[in-house]
Amino acid sequence: MSLAISAIDYINGIKNGSITAEEFIAKTLDHIKKQEPKLHAFLSINEDAIEQARQIDKKIKSGQKVGAFYGMPISIKDNICIKGGKTTCASKMLQNYTSPYDATVVSNLKSQDAILIGKTNLDEFAMGVATEFSAFGPSRNPWNVDYVPGGSSGGSAVSVAGLESILSLGSDTGGSVRNPASFCSIVGLKPTYGLVSRYGLISYSNSIEQIGPMGRKVEDVALLLNHIAGKDPYDPTTLTSPTPDYLSGIDVGISGKKIGIIKEMSSGAGLDKTVESVFRNAMSAFEKLGAKIEEVSLDMVQYTVATYYVLTTAEAGSNLSRYDNLRYGYELDSEGYEFKSYISKARRNFGPEVTRRMILGGFVPSAGFAGKYLLKALKVKNKLKKQIQSAFTKFDYLISPTVPVLPFRFGEKIDDPLAMYLADINTVTANLTGVPAISIPYEIRNGLPVGVQIHANILQEKQLLQAGYALQNTTEIPEINL
Amino acid sequence: MVTKEEIQNIAKLMRIDIENTDEYFERVQKVLSYFDILDKADIEGEEIPVQEISIENLREDQYAPFNDKLIQQLKNYKGIYIRAPKMN
Repeated sequence: MSLAISAIDYINGIKNGSITAEEFIAKTLDHIKKQEPKLHAFLSINEDAIEQARQIDKKIKSGQKVGAFYGMPISIKDNICIKGGKTTCASKMLQNYTSPYDATVVSNLKSQDAILIGKTNLDEFAMGVATEFSAFGPSRNPWNVDYVPGGSSGGSAVSVAGLESILSLGSDTGGSVRNPASFCSIVGLKPTYGLVSRYGLISYSNSIEQIGPMGRKVEDVALLLNHIAGKDPYDPTTLTSPTPDYLSGIDVGISGKKIGIIKEMSSGAGLDKTVESVFRNAMSAFEKLGAKIEEVSLDMVQYTVATYYVLTTAEAGSNLSRYDNLRYGYELDSEGYEFKSYISKARRNFGPEVTRRMILGGFVPSAGFAGKYLLKALKVKNKLKKQIQSAFTKFDYLISPTVPVLPFRFGEKIDDPLAMYLADINTVTANLTGVPAISIPYEIRNGLPVGVQIHANILQEKQLLQAGYALQNTTEIPEINL
Repeated sequence: MVTKEEIQNIAKLMRIDIENTDEYFERVQKVLSYFDILDKADIEGEEIPVQEISIENLREDQYAPFNDKLIQQLKNYKGIYIRAPKMN
């Protein structure tokens, strides 16, 4: 029994009796114990996992109805609430915070007999691209532990790539699912805004963020999406449209489809030569699959990084103002403080990146500056949306490298926020326009993974997964050496 | 160019009290100057998008009992009171 099996193979193994949930979970926990000192994917581990697996095995044996995941281990980013457990957001501010309820995605998975194996590491409050901003130390890239795993859902990606979990849920505000998926050579999907409920996801930038599924195979991600997508009365931004079965017909291929290469994301000085060369290989693979490829320009893309950071810091400044240490927080006696100085003191528990973004977030919408920053950013967002909609009248898919650079070493970009922010240039467009996008692992070059990104139009996840599946079958990723 | 005093004032209004002031301001200032790229965007005549949610799409305003004693998770909770710093 290998821990490297796909979700689909796991389910088949359970059904034909060749594996039991208990065996698989026990082996997974054993592997986690061995790998964690090196990888640090998790902030907490589910202590009841074995017992939960036994219960599921019992149900299977006695012929009772069993949920779709059959005791499969799924890891959850530590900004998504699981009742009774800690949800730290990798921040000292929430170190002792216990979730009072389950996120909707979590109740969905529980009701389908998934085993939530642990909570994964992230950049503090999901702000970063390397997990270097976690207050509890970074996660390490399982392909080469000297390199960052990407972020902010870095722990989720590491847990899946490092065989510590079959699937994972991350959250994607500007690429936080797709970036670590690309850096760790797994599949990561940012769904259409409103497809997946955000109830129980700790807010960073509500107007664009989404919870997204991550796995080693496109079909695994489709399976996970099947069980988290749909309307939720607790999140009024969720869409009412019916959700299809994302798994059926995933292998129909993309012959005759039209693909646009987004010029601003796929060329230029910021694009690493290795990434470019891998992307070219993916382009020829698409052509061999029978797709027609053409370049397309979305000129607003050059302003998206600035737009993204203006909008998200403004929302973060407002969202994070709730951490005043009265409702959440740590032991800090209020004796001797007046109200304002107490809160200022309490907020020293935010790490440097969160503090910077709060200051920026106070700045960009403030009187006298809103016209220069916030309102302009909103207008760029509007124009970008029109440009991408117009591109989708001509193309079925829009593609680019997921990240313009290769995974980098720890410390390489941490002192230069701008260099770090620019790594987001290819991923933020999907968030700003609400369209779905997926990162497909394509090659390992000199031991470092490179991913390819595909966008589809609003609510076209089914078609998006079909394209991802077709592309996945044109490449073979070598086995990971752990 | 945004001045240090302007950034300092915003930090104060955000109730953020920081050490290593210079380092913070340098980096914040650098990011703000990068945002100047927005001045070049051709967005003449563009509208500002708003996120609309129709009132019919909100869930019903009904009382739902929550049995957990949430209030006891609060910091500095004593008896039926929450201790907060002095207002002035």
